[in-house]
Amino acid sequence: MNSIVCIKRVPETAEATLKIASDNRRLEEENLVFAINEADNYALEQALLLQEEFGGDITIVSVGPEKTDEIIRMALAKGATSAIRITPTDMAELDPFAVASLIANEVEDLDYDIIFTGCVASDDGFSQVGVTLAEILGIEHISMTIEMEAGEDGATVNRELEGGLMAKYDVKYPAVVTIQTGINEPRYASILGIKRASSKEIRVVDSVDIGGKRVNLEKIYFPPPGKMAEIIEGGPDAVAEKTCEILKSKGLL
Amino acid sequence: MAQTLIEQHGLFGCVQCGRCVAGCPISIRTALNTRKLIYQSLLESKKRVQSPDIWCCTTCKTCSDRCPKGVEIMEYIVALRRYQVERGKIEPTARNALESILKHGNPWERAREKRTEWITDDLDVRILEEGESTDVLLFVGCTPAYDPEAQKSARALAKLLNKAGVDFAILGTAESCCGNEVERMGEEGLFEMLVEENTELFSKYKFNRIVTISPHCYNTFKNEYTALDFEIIHYTQLLQELIESGALKFDGKIGENVIFHDPCFLGKQNAVFDPPRFVLQSALENELLEFDRNRERSQCCEGGGGRMWIEVESDIERTAEERVKDAEYFGAEIIATSCPFCMLTLSDAVKTTGLEDKLRVIDISEILIIDY
Ligand code: SF4
Ligand code: SF4
Repeated sequence: MNSIVCIKRVPETAEATLKIASDNRRLEEENLVFAINEADNYALEQALLLQEEFGGDITIVSVGPEKTDEIIRMALAKGATSAIRITPTDMAELDPFAVASLIANEVEDLDYDIIFTGCVASDDGFSQVGVTLAEILGIEHISMTIEMEAGEDGATVNRELEGGLMAKYDVKYPAVVTIQTGINEPRYASILGIKRASSKEIRVVDSVDIGGKRVNLEKIYFPPPGKMAEIIEGGPDAVAEKTCEILKSKGLL
Repeated sequence: MAQTLIEQHGLFGCVQCGRCVAGCPISIRTALNTRKLIYQSLLESKKRVQSPDIWCCTTCKTCSDRCPKGVEIMEYIVALRRYQVERGKIEPTARNALESILKHGNPWERAREKRTEWITDDLDVRILEEGESTDVLLFVGCTPAYDPEAQKSARALAKLLNKAGVDFAILGTAESCCGNEVERMGEEGLFEMLVEENTELFSKYKFNRIVTISPHCYNTFKNEYTALDFEIIHYTQLLQELIESGALKFDGKIGENVIFHDPCFLGKQNAVFDPPRFVLQSALENELLEFDRNRERSQCCEGGGGRMWIEVESDIERTAEERVKDAEYFGAEIIATSCPFCMLTLSDAVKTTGLEDKLRVIDISEILIIDY
């Protein structure tokens, strides 16, 4: 069974102090740490588990700058067979449709059963690349997969719905399956493994133009604090003290 | 032909005497039995033993130290871990710690830019810029830099150094994990990378010696970084020196009963037994209390060898819980320690054993500033 896994390099923003670049459309990258998008890491693990069960190749595809090779190498270290990095000239103009089109161009002639992607990217949160890709390729798709049992020519997948419901689907290959975090436990890529994987091929497709996009990013910005919101500044002790005061003053403590 | 792990670590010498298991702090509460592991390894010498039990080890090194036949038991366990790390199938919590070290330079999944947040306004802590010089380079370490409990020990030490007029500085956000736990978790490649990067980093500054807060940093800089050409000491050694020279004076007024817990990486593994005791005694009214198991025989707190990030299931109480109960038995009101991991494991144990009203766990530097 052959699979393709689409991965994205994203900044880790949970703890970082974010600065918006002067064009108001990007983050300043200087102090940011980048890693594989979390859901994509689970998607990759799902492909690796299927590879362990059924054999076959895993091709990694990523649209991003040259530095994307860092996360691609990790995927190769974990057991992926080969990789394609697509680096368009006008990276800032990418939207989900453009990304899906670029990927579709590279993978349409490959021999694959499943295309995995994460269900959402942690930076732009679109959740669209996987389903758009399926649409362009004219194949089935299942999004937000939380459980998966694969067979030789099709898989049974579970999607998690609101209110504690689960929905079960059968899907025939070829198909796009977008994966939720928590479906498995991603493995670790050791540094020696990453070094060793440097002999595996990353095919670079660069200087391509993005073939049309559908949405235009106007700006990114920090929303002004709402009327009812108060931002508490200071160290953990000061913040805790102030929080206690507020809770007490409202009679909640 | 390359030596097998069995040959490399002298497993053929094993006479199955069981001294290693008898001394192993965690053999009583986990499935890891070193004598059995070695026997099994010899029986199945063609295969590589892949027991999950090897992750219970705290790398306290009691087994290797006590083996009459010189079998390198702990080192063999670490070597077995390397194969599991290579295959990538390790505990998610251990994976997160290792990935965090690669990304952020610390195992706590905290941003590099927050590494200096422990420094409060009342402290005079200089951050060394490339090319600048200082007498003492204080290597803060990841846990004292980020953990709110352990930060107190970094602040207390800085206060003492300010008081003694020591010319010291830190590397600030340029400082990265020392890698001691990385090596012991079997992530050889990452460890080698840290050694290389840290050695290169140190070479950009001028200083006479490095002082570490954690015995774990002390251990690896001293014994495993081969290209460092400056002195490496633990902070208790520096404090002893400052007291002996008269730069720091304590008038022995702290009236509480204090007992000292030897950290494995300071005591057992590096024979630094006396400086912490000397320093503590100088500030205490009463004689420093001792555990029955002290110095070389000190009981491990289960904080080493990556165990800060690997939980072990067991019905039997943690060694740290046993330790704090012992402390109470010996009449202590304060457990003094000089390791951030011991500090965290023992503090937790005081809570889980319900001894909070009777016992506190405090780092030596913090005890010293009680009266300041
Ligand atoms: S102490 Fe040494 S000789 Fe005795 S059982 Fe353990 S490894 Fe074997
Ligand atoms: S190093 Fe310590 S914990 Fe690990 S096996 Fe040896 S005695 Fe037990």
